[in-house]
Amino acid sequence: MGCPMNKTITYSGMLWLLAAQFVVMLPFTLYLPWWLIPIMVASVIWRLRVLKGYSAQPNALVKTLLVAMGVGGLVLSGLPFPSLDLMLAVLLLGFAFKSLEVVQLRDGVIVIFLGYLLVALHFLYTQEILAGAYGLLGMTILTGALIGIQPAVTVLNPFETVRSHLKLATLMVLQAIPLMLIIFFLAPRLPPLWSLPMMPGQTKTGISERMTPGDIADLTRSTELAFRATFKNTRPPQAQLYWRGLTLNYFDGKTWQQLPEDYDFINFKNQVKGEYALFNKNFELRGDPIEYEALYVPSGQPWLFTLTPTLNVEGDVIRAADYRVMANTITQSPALIKASSYPQTIRDTKLTHTMRHLASQLPQGSDPRTHELAQRWWRESGQNVERYIKLILHHFRTQEFYYTLSPPLLGDQNTIDAFLFDSRKGFCSHYAGSFVFLMRAVGIPARVVVGYQGGKWNEQGNYLAVYQYDAHAWVEVWQPETGWVEYDPTTAVAPSRVTEGSDAFLAQEEGLLRQSFRAVQNNLPWLSSLSQQLDALQYQWQRWVVGYDHDTQANVLRKWLGDFSITTLTLVILSVFVALGVLWGIWLGLWRKPRLTLEQSLMHELDQILAKKGFKREPAQTVGDFAQQVSSKQADLGKLLQQFAQHFESLCYNPMANKADTTQQLKRLLKQLKKAPITQLGRKIAPLKPSRISEG
Amino acid sequence: MRLNPWEQRWQHWLDQRLPAKNQRTLAQRSIFIIPSGSGLALLVVLGLLMILGINFQNSLVYVVCFWLLALFILNILYTYRNLAGVTIKALRIEPCFAGSHAVLELELSRMPTRAHWNIVLDWSKQDHVLVELASCQSVRIQLSHLATKRGYFEPPRIKISTTYPTGLALAWSYFTPDLKGLVYPEPLQQDSALAHQGNTDNSGKILTAGGSDFNELRAYKTGDPIQRIHWAKYAQTGQLYTKSFVDYASEALWLDWNQVPTPRTEQRLSVLCAQVLELNATQAVFGLKIPGKTIEPASGEVHYEQCLKALALYGLPYE
Repeated sequence: MGCPMNKTITYSGMLWLLAAQFVVMLPFTLYLPWWLIPIMVASVIWRLRVLKGYSAQPNALVKTLLVAMGVGGLVLSGLPFPSLDLMLAVLLLGFAFKSLEVVQLRDGVIVIFLGYLLVALHFLYTQEILAGAYGLLGMTILTGALIGIQPAVTVLNPFETVRSHLKLATLMVLQAIPLMLIIFFLAPRLPPLWSLPMMPGQTKTGISERMTPGDIADLTRSTELAFRATFKNTRPPQAQLYWRGLTLNYFDGKTWQQLPEDYDFINFKNQVKGEYALFNKNFELRGDPIEYEALYVPSGQPWLFTLTPTLNVEGDVIRAADYRVMANTITQSPALIKASSYPQTIRDTKLTHTMRHLASQLPQGSDPRTHELAQRWWRESGQNVERYIKLILHHFRTQEFYYTLSPPLLGDQNTIDAFLFDSRKGFCSHYAGSFVFLMRAVGIPARVVVGYQGGKWNEQGNYLAVYQYDAHAWVEVWQPETGWVEYDPTTAVAPSRVTEGSDAFLAQEEGLLRQSFRAVQNNLPWLSSLSQQLDALQYQWQRWVVGYDHDTQANVLRKWLGDFSITTLTLVILSVFVALGVLWGIWLGLWRKPRLTLEQSLMHELDQILAKKGFKREPAQTVGDFAQQVSSKQADLGKLLQQFAQHFESLCYNPMANKADTTQQLKRLLKQLKKAPITQLGRKIAPLKPSRISEG
Repeated sequence: MRLNPWEQRWQHWLDQRLPAKNQRTLAQRSIFIIPSGSGLALLVVLGLLMILGINFQNSLVYVVCFWLLALFILNILYTYRNLAGVTIKALRIEPCFAGSHAVLELELSRMPTRAHWNIVLDWSKQDHVLVELASCQSVRIQLSHLATKRGYFEPPRIKISTTYPTGLALAWSYFTPDLKGLVYPEPLQQDSALAHQGNTDNSGKILTAGGSDFNELRAYKTGDPIQRIHWAKYAQTGQLYTKSFVDYASEALWLDWNQVPTPRTEQRLSVLCAQVLELNATQAVFGLKIPGKTIEPASGEVHYEQCLKALALYGLPYE
């Protein structure tokens, strides 16, 4: 099958490759060393100079040196080893250097295929809608380059050539969309084949598993999205939206953490499956559910955030004894859950020994002043939990406690004392921490809950967007009759934090620039509506494209096809493919009957008429020649044919001739030719061949 | 060239499906299409992407994977369409001499509504040409093929293929022209025994070694025909003398099979062929005598071609 074509890549082909490589590599500079781009550009320019004859092709030694330098650079760039980041950087380095030795078509094809692979790999870093659009651009340019490097006859000038290739590539990429969508929606989604290391570029974001209020002098709050939620029926009021992430039980005097021991994810999961498991007998379903759906931004952590208590949930999740819902794996792609929360449910009327132990622990001998205060209030409240809590909250409200994101440091020991008696400035962690401490000091089981509070309602998209700056900490107190009940001590100090949302609350504390930006946004409603619309678009993208996993697929298919079996599904897919193939075929004109030109059809007719009379025209013979040949045997016929030839030639070659008139003439002549008699009666004339005439 | 049974079967099937014809418009029946080497490589890349998508549960990696798959499928139609509707027509084969190249002239034409790019016409291991049918309605091309034997050259299958636009799929068809090209014997200059070159006589007439007019008596050289030995002179002197004859150009010269001093048929034909070329170049009047055929003396192109054709087809089972 080998074709002995000259398959070296031309100058314009190299330019195409340069453009494609540039487009592919550019976004990686956000995550990987930027100097890979100059390497790529330098390689291509070198190759271009070789093509122009200005430079020599680098020899093996030079190539080895270059590669060694590149690898050295990567080593020095401090990428962790082994990591996908490093693997990708090496791949990019190879991609950049490859253009130096792109000589044959095959090398170019390798570069382009690597490019396709890299376009996909970029989505491991980000799956934003913009990244998607950029990927489309990359695909188009790569396809254009694939067309551009093919050996071709050049009839157009370079600019037109590039334009036509780009046009074709765009057309093909767009035409491929419907088929792609069908495959995308129908192709089965499999579970991961083997476990994977951390995603490249993935850092842990979101709330932390530890809370050390005294250590933070300035809480920086990110405006990144944490998750979005939609509600099936009515939206609960803002003040009820406490999104539980995890509970912190263990306090060492300075830091709150989940359990006395620090577990990694796998071990923590084992805990959740064992001692820390949630049993149905723990709670009693009560009241109407709040049904909602939440789509979480991948955080590199397993924590999900749900309304308390979420008791029905669909998705790849596990539930723990503290009523949290967490992902079964570290979230590296958007996680979607469908859940129902039953706020009126009473949780844990009986507390297990382990849980009670966890919720009562305090560090030995720390914070004596707080212990003293707790005992005093406990006596004042007549050992009534309700009254005791009211007393504490009253204290926070009436004394000079401040809510601030820039609290003073609290030192290493007796941090609760330092906060409650000295600084009295802090944010949710300070209040939640000291509240739980006060509870445990008098023997009431309590724990810190961290998660998010509130969120921003998007009117355009009818969903709630919860951002990182909505992170919050509150508490849960256990009593035999009521089970676990949530309290938010921060509201005592800063009620607007909950009622108005952290966004508005933070505005007071932020710098002038942000405040003015906010002011602009508030005074230009269309701007904020536009940003809401963009966010709504992002949500749809995340929900239906990025988050299209096995469960979503099953749901969608069930919705469309009802209860389906594999057979019906296969049949549907097949018929869709066949129908699409037929449509495409019709559209591309595969089954269109070849249309003959006017000249072709006239000639065809003439040949048929004369064949009946025993004259066969050689394919290469012109009508004029043929007419002469016929004249020698059949004078009358030849005369007509000569007339035909005259008109035919003027139809073909005379631009001044009246086409319609000439065609009329030709058709008339054809009729005459058809009727023309053969003079030698009763004998068919053998077909003539010019070669035989000369033989005589 | 020996073919294995499968190849034979395939060739036979092809002959049945695409019989020799002087004109064919390529369409569904005659076009074959398969993924090319790079197309298969792309499928490997797709597999890799699929694994990436599955393992990272990354929807957009799936999207890229399925997009490339869709592009790959779509491309097959594009490649097919680039070949479908092309009309290929064999025009003529110029006569040539054995050992040189027979040149086939072909015309490719298209329908007015459709452009075709980068079509390769390939005579395997002989010649290939890359054409486009977009800037013009039809294009004439020449393909050459080595003609090894005299007689009729029957052009083998021509492969018409394209990988346009992306090189991911290969569409091809075969075209076997129903033409025969004459292949004249390979001319062989023989300047040894018989001086075939024309000498110039004193009288200025062009002389060519021939057999009708006695010219002179000269010493025998090996290879001289035995009939021309002057036996009388031999008897006198004991030396061998050869009678040499010339044909004056004013009169007809004869190129005679029997006078070519070599027993091998092909060589004789080659020598005669060279002589015909020679004489035609000098516009001489000459005739040709070969077993079974005599061409009366004449001159001019038609005569010349007739002579060469007679030499080309000598002893072959044509007509």
